[in-house]
Amino acid sequence: MSDHHHEPIRPYIPEFDALKKGWDRRSFLTKTSLGLGAVALGTLLGKSLFGNQLGQLAAGQSPENLEAEILRALPHFAPKAKRVVYLFMSGGPSQFETFDYKPKLVDMFGQPLPDSVRQGQRLTGMSGSQSILPIVPSIFKFNKHGQSQTWVSELLPYTAEVIDELCVLKSIHSEAINHDPAITFFQTGNQLPGRPSIGSWISYGLGTDNENLPSFIVLVSKNAAKDQPLYARLWGNGFLASEHQGVQFREGKDPVLFLDNPEGYDGADRKEMLDYLSQLNKMQNEVNADPEVEARIAQYEMAYRMQTSVPEVMNISDEPEEVFEMYGPDSKDPGTYAANCILARKLLEKDVKFVQLYHQGWDHHGGLPGGMKQQCKATDQPTAALIKDLKRRGLLEDTLVIWGGEFGRTVYSQGKLLPDNYGRDHHPRCFTMWMAGAGVKPGISYGETDDFSYNVIKDPVHVHDFQATLMHLMGIDHERFTYKFEGRRFRLTDVHGKVVRDILS
Amino acid sequence: MMLLDITTFFGRLHPLLVHLPIGFLLMAVLFEILSYFRKYQYLHAAVSFILLMGFIAAIAAGTCGFILSLTGDYDLVNLNNHKIAGILVAIISGLLYLFTTSRAKKLIPINRKVFSSFFILLFVLLSFTGHQGGNLTHGNNYLSLKTLQQREQKKPTSVDEALLFEDIVQPLLLMRCAQCHREGKMKGELSLETLAGMLKGGKSRPAIVGGKLHESELYERITLDPTNEKFMPTDGKTPLTKGEIAIIKWWIEKGMAMDGKKIADIKNAEEIKPRVAAYLGLGSIGDGGEMTANSGIEINQDIPQNINSALVDSLRKAGVQVRVMQHKPVMLDVTLPSGMGNQLPAIRVNLKAIAKNVIWLNLSNNGLTEKELEFLPLMTNLEKLRLEKNPVTDGISNQLAGLQHLEAVNLNETKITKAGLEKIKQLPNLKRIYSWQTLAE
Repeated sequence: MSDHHHEPIRPYIPEFDALKKGWDRRSFLTKTSLGLGAVALGTLLGKSLFGNQLGQLAAGQSPENLEAEILRALPHFAPKAKRVVYLFMSGGPSQFETFDYKPKLVDMFGQPLPDSVRQGQRLTGMSGSQSILPIVPSIFKFNKHGQSQTWVSELLPYTAEVIDELCVLKSIHSEAINHDPAITFFQTGNQLPGRPSIGSWISYGLGTDNENLPSFIVLVSKNAAKDQPLYARLWGNGFLASEHQGVQFREGKDPVLFLDNPEGYDGADRKEMLDYLSQLNKMQNEVNADPEVEARIAQYEMAYRMQTSVPEVMNISDEPEEVFEMYGPDSKDPGTYAANCILARKLLEKDVKFVQLYHQGWDHHGGLPGGMKQQCKATDQPTAALIKDLKRRGLLEDTLVIWGGEFGRTVYSQGKLLPDNYGRDHHPRCFTMWMAGAGVKPGISYGETDDFSYNVIKDPVHVHDFQATLMHLMGIDHERFTYKFEGRRFRLTDVHGKVVRDILS
Repeated sequence: MMLLDITTFFGRLHPLLVHLPIGFLLMAVLFEILSYFRKYQYLHAAVSFILLMGFIAAIAAGTCGFILSLTGDYDLVNLNNHKIAGILVAIISGLLYLFTTSRAKKLIPINRKVFSSFFILLFVLLSFTGHQGGNLTHGNNYLSLKTLQQREQKKPTSVDEALLFEDIVQPLLLMRCAQCHREGKMKGELSLETLAGMLKGGKSRPAIVGGKLHESELYERITLDPTNEKFMPTDGKTPLTKGEIAIIKWWIEKGMAMDGKKIADIKNAEEIKPRVAAYLGLGSIGDGGEMTANSGIEINQDIPQNINSALVDSLRKAGVQVRVMQHKPVMLDVTLPSGMGNQLPAIRVNLKAIAKNVIWLNLSNNGLTEKELEFLPLMTNLEKLRLEKNPVTDGISNQLAGLQHLEAVNLNETKITKAGLEKIKQLPNLKRIYSWQTLAE
């Protein structure tokens, strides 16, 4: 080959010299606050006389050391969960037609929502101007299931079979009333964009258990109405290093974009090329110490390993027919929710730390009965199959499964109320989620709502409480896990959050 | 280039530099006074120069001190006293120097005795500054008249001998609360240094009422939700552990909040003895997960507190995944990646060396038989074991027989049979056993 990779690199790049001198005002002032002579002295002493000791004196002061110290303390206590699979039902699934059984509403069909229940709380602009807010009970029947005798809607026959594995949280409440802020709040702990997502925090804090796959992987169902958008920042890394962002796997030929070698290139010297590239990148990095360069090096190397690991994990030809039967008819069609559930199980088997599935289409402002039927049909069987499959493989032992949306829906109908058709508006004041698996009490329901599922009346669980509990199960004290950025320390739960100890096993 | 935190470095020069102005200025005071005696008259000429030196040294020490104060780890009241007094010392020494120069003498002639009296002021101020500085580093009780009156308190040797208030409750409150609630500081007008102070209470009501738990403000405040703004200790200081709270509760309820009583002399003291023993560090009763309060999980006391990290490193180098689950005691989650079973002979020795620290172990899909797993009985603290997809047979039950802490074992796709499973099920702590796709199913 005609490359010159064996020759030593002689960097002569005058532009870099300019960068070297290009201190910004702040670092110039800090570093020369006591005169350039002091810098020189410090450098001399630091290198020759005191060596590392001087660095230790400064421990806890400089940001690098603070970061290292916080990471070194992890995990704060023995974790119960080693991996998480988060089934995100985007759009806000109705609690009335799934888990929060409210039989008293049947007698109040069509009656206006009493002011004593609503207590003047805000509504969205979509139904706020309605002349009447007519109460609508679930059109679907409920039955008691499992040893725990938990009420489950007839829309979820498969989930009902595994109800004794689930810890149903009926008192989740959020602060945001519209999709973007609510989903951003759920995934990053803040309604405004820019913070790291839960998976990124976990990846940053706990690292990876499989060098060949990203520690945070995202799968989005293709068989769902794209009524509300999803965007990459929901699994973004925020201010954490870029290698911690979620990597989305797509259906079809290229599960991960830009991973395959270009056509007509056999890839034989790919490794050599990457090594040389990383050498160049490291050189550049010595000059301007940009963490993005380090992230880029890490990502190139990960991509190289993924060239073999991804095709392996995407290959479902080894799966016996019985598995496809279990996950339902969609499961052979890549990109569907069912196929993604199988893929999620395979990724968890490979010790991927955080797998997040998104299934859109739960935003039923109108035509709710039909919409819910369709949504549940697409997700109920695969979800239950995932639980069963993880359980029999012994993976539920140390895997945490989470199911839920960004908010719930209102007790009153949005738009016209017909005997067989109605809609429900956004309702963040209470809704239902469930958790299952590692460290969570199986077969219980936690929290209660009033007869209208409008307000929480017992054991409220705020979004930050949920996040704190998730972190707790991974061995992280959410209050001690911080990252310093732009002069202050950030954490997933901001200054809130309380671990819901009552649901821990 | 190595970029150091220069400011921290110079801040920490303060304790070193600070003795220079003290020395110089004391010498100036001494020379000024001695020069009244004829024998030492000649010293008077030196005073001006020494004052200048003292002034310069005071400025240098003060600058470093100011940088040091920015780290913010100091008692604000003491710090402020020290800072203001220090600055005054520098200013006064500078002014005194100015008045020794001939030009200033001409402008404002000052009587020599008046001038000397300023030296006395300087001396007093210097002493005060030094004392405040000492208090900052060593604590307020380091050099005080109270030290003279203190008697050495003997540590009780047994729980029965311990005095409930003097040996347990008082030291506990001194440690946790008296930093702010003490004579001199009296946050909330409360002092918890003495029993009298507690019974008197603070702004609102008595801190302690004997026998009446819910009239005791102190108990109410330490048991609030930590997010409540009235929760004590405030400002992120270490809260009391559950064990400590239990002791205080018992002292108020059963001990009627009195002093001078031995535990042995109080009725029905059995319930509190384990707590007291744990607090005093007596006996073998560990404080377990409860005293660490954070995780709320009972921790197996047999797990070693430490581990030779070289062993972990060498295992990692050999391709074994070693995940630290907890730092103290050291709990490990060890995974031999699938298809690496043939590496086992090379790592066996190291694996045995860390056996007691292994809490979770995953050996799945490695073609291993129970003969190769002879190290399992050494892993007495094992809680979760994954052996799925290995050709192990019923013989594995013998190796698991001694694992008292084993909670879950995964034997999917192995050659285990019903007989083997029955044997394993007899383990005292076993809760879940997986045997999917085996002969036992």
